[in-house]
Amino acid sequence: MTVVIGFEGSANKIGVGIIRDGEVLSNPRRTYITPPGQGFLPSDTARHHRGVILKVLKEALDEAGLKPCDIDCVAYTKGPGMGAPLVTVALVARTVAQLWGKPLLGVNHCIGHIEMGRLITQANNPTVLYVSGGNTQVIAYSERRYRIFGETIDIAVGNCLDRFARVIKISNDPSPGYNIEQMAKEGKKYVELPYTVKGMDVSFSGILSYIEDAAGKMLTSNQCTAEDLCFSLQETLFSMLVEITERAMAHCGSQEVLIVGGVGCNMRLQEMMMVMCKERGAKLFATDESFCIDNGAMIAQAGWEMFRSGQVTELSDSWITQRYRTDEVEVTWRD
Amino acid sequence: MAVDGRSVAVQQFLKKTELIKQGAEARVYRGIFLGKPTILKERFPKLYRHPLLDEKLTHRRTVQEVRALLRCRKAGISAPAVYFVDYTCHCIFLEDIVGSVTVRDYITSIQLSPQKSQEERLDHLAKKMGLVLAKMHEEDVIHGDLTTSNMLLKVGGDTEEADLFLIDFGLSYISALPEDKGVDMYVLEKAFLSTHPNTEALFEKLLKAYTASYRKSHSVINKLNEVRLRGRKRSMVG
Amino acid sequence: MEGKIDGALINPFMIVHPFEVLVAANKAVHLHRIGKMKTRRMYSEIIYNLSPTNNISDAFKRFGTSDSDTAVLIVLVHPTDETRHMTEVMAKVDGQQIPVEDVSKMVDTAQIKKLYRTTPQEDSCLLDAVVCRMAVKDVI
Repeated sequence: MTVVIGFEGSANKIGVGIIRDGEVLSNPRRTYITPPGQGFLPSDTARHHRGVILKVLKEALDEAGLKPCDIDCVAYTKGPGMGAPLVTVALVARTVAQLWGKPLLGVNHCIGHIEMGRLITQANNPTVLYVSGGNTQVIAYSERRYRIFGETIDIAVGNCLDRFARVIKISNDPSPGYNIEQMAKEGKKYVELPYTVKGMDVSFSGILSYIEDAAGKMLTSNQCTAEDLCFSLQETLFSMLVEITERAMAHCGSQEVLIVGGVGCNMRLQEMMMVMCKERGAKLFATDESFCIDNGAMIAQAGWEMFRSGQVTELSDSWITQRYRTDEVEVTWRD
Repeated sequence: MAVDGRSVAVQQFLKKTELIKQGAEARVYRGIFLGKPTILKERFPKLYRHPLLDEKLTHRRTVQEVRALLRCRKAGISAPAVYFVDYTCHCIFLEDIVGSVTVRDYITSIQLSPQKSQEERLDHLAKKMGLVLAKMHEEDVIHGDLTTSNMLLKVGGDTEEADLFLIDFGLSYISALPEDKGVDMYVLEKAFLSTHPNTEALFEKLLKAYTASYRKSHSVINKLNEVRLRGRKRSMVG
Repeated sequence: MEGKIDGALINPFMIVHPFEVLVAANKAVHLHRIGKMKTRRMYSEIIYNLSPTNNISDAFKRFGTSDSDTAVLIVLVHPTDETRHMTEVMAKVDGQQIPVEDVSKMVDTAQIKKLYRTTPQEDSCLLDAVVCRMAVKDVI
């Protein structure tokens, strides 16, 4: 039996999760929520994480019913993400690893999402759509790498949604994306927005600047409601995502799709993806918010795979990086 | 109009055809149209997207595709001739490039052939691709979806030089901006390297041929480098 | 020629290959069925479809026939097994019938290149150059 504890805090969530051979023993998490109209800044986020991380760690151990001596390896997020929060979490991970005398393992955050998705859904070799506040990638595995077939050439889809939420002052509690999703259900009118797909890549900055510019005017002149805008934005963004996923599937001859990342728990996105999959006779795998959204268990799970394939991170190498591409990691645990 | 939305012209053609590909946005059939070997490209409705968005995109792409084909052909870039367009069901009837293979399959087959002639043949192909793309950008045509699957190679006889055709112009548009051309090459680079692992050197040769034969390539290559960095440097929070 | 002929009367010197005429007729039939013809009758639509531009009177001037013409290409649209009309039309024409493939021998290449504004790069297959322009003219 191998037990791995994972620390995640690359953005505004802080989570600690424990995995024992494919079983999630615990996975507590806290979210740093900012007032409407505001995003989260690195230093404030790091302060939030510092304030709660030990409490979350204790919860994780208690809930799993384990003592530090039961742990085999301490995994933490090496990147990508925001510098200050990453540093905070890595510091705690390094400290407990030394206190407990356990090996350390730095994990790529994106790989954490993919491996957690594969574990929970049992998808074998899926085309992965990874969508969150900082990432938009279409990934498929080949020859020891998770290769990026398509991605955003400017901002991430979650970033586009968050910034739109700030423009029309939608609440950040529990998350801007969740509130947009609820409002979109009440939207009726489809407002035409820019649509930019380039091969298997997408671009969202044009849509954002268009809607930032037009939203106020359209709302004050009663041309449409805030709900209509949420609806139209979702329809447009998600159509682009489903389209590039389908392009990548056609390109790779893949018949499985796995959606991961915070935006991945949006039910409208899952529904649209399902329609596309049905049409192609493909299978859709998705997880709910407990695993889609950043969490500690995903870092533990990727760490578990890496640790089992013989990897560890020396203390001197246990740094963090804000930029860390999915395809930089050699996948030593898959054929 | 028939019940299923297909016009009579399309229905008649489909009676004696074979479906050769279900791509991401179109079904592709091969058959005979008015006596000629023909490819029918049918952009069927995508049920996952809003009907208004679907109709707009499908129509736009049909139009962009045929416009770009004509523009390329005028410039002497090999591309299939357009025989007929049915805008009601978004079908394009195109010249079938008989005896052609996709560049993707061609590269794969060369890589499986004896080592000796491999490099020379691949180099020759990369050079040809670079030249054709240079010509296309010279005409301000942005393909929008460059991959090795969207290029066909019609291999001639022993003495005849093989002809490289560009296809699938649905995402194309006209632009003189180096940024757009740079992104076009970036899209190709990513598709190329992910489809054919460990071919970085080959793609460099393609770029070299592109640069050598395109007067304004300097600013395009600068933009390409910039776009590449954008991917590497993007802070990926969350 | 005597009497009225119910068919498209085309100047054969402006036709590169019979395929071009089939393409024009196919398009006319299609647009007739969906009620989207640009001209009033199917036979005028065929002539209009041959032209590279969207100017109707121009199309008739270039591709229609005039009294001084020494040859004519007649296009009829009819059900496959109904040839009575064809016999009637042929009876009205005072002249020698030639195989339709022979129109390619009569073509005024210089005129075609000028009218369709083909480029030297397209010389290798003038027919494709012409058909492409016919097919795409609605969206140019």
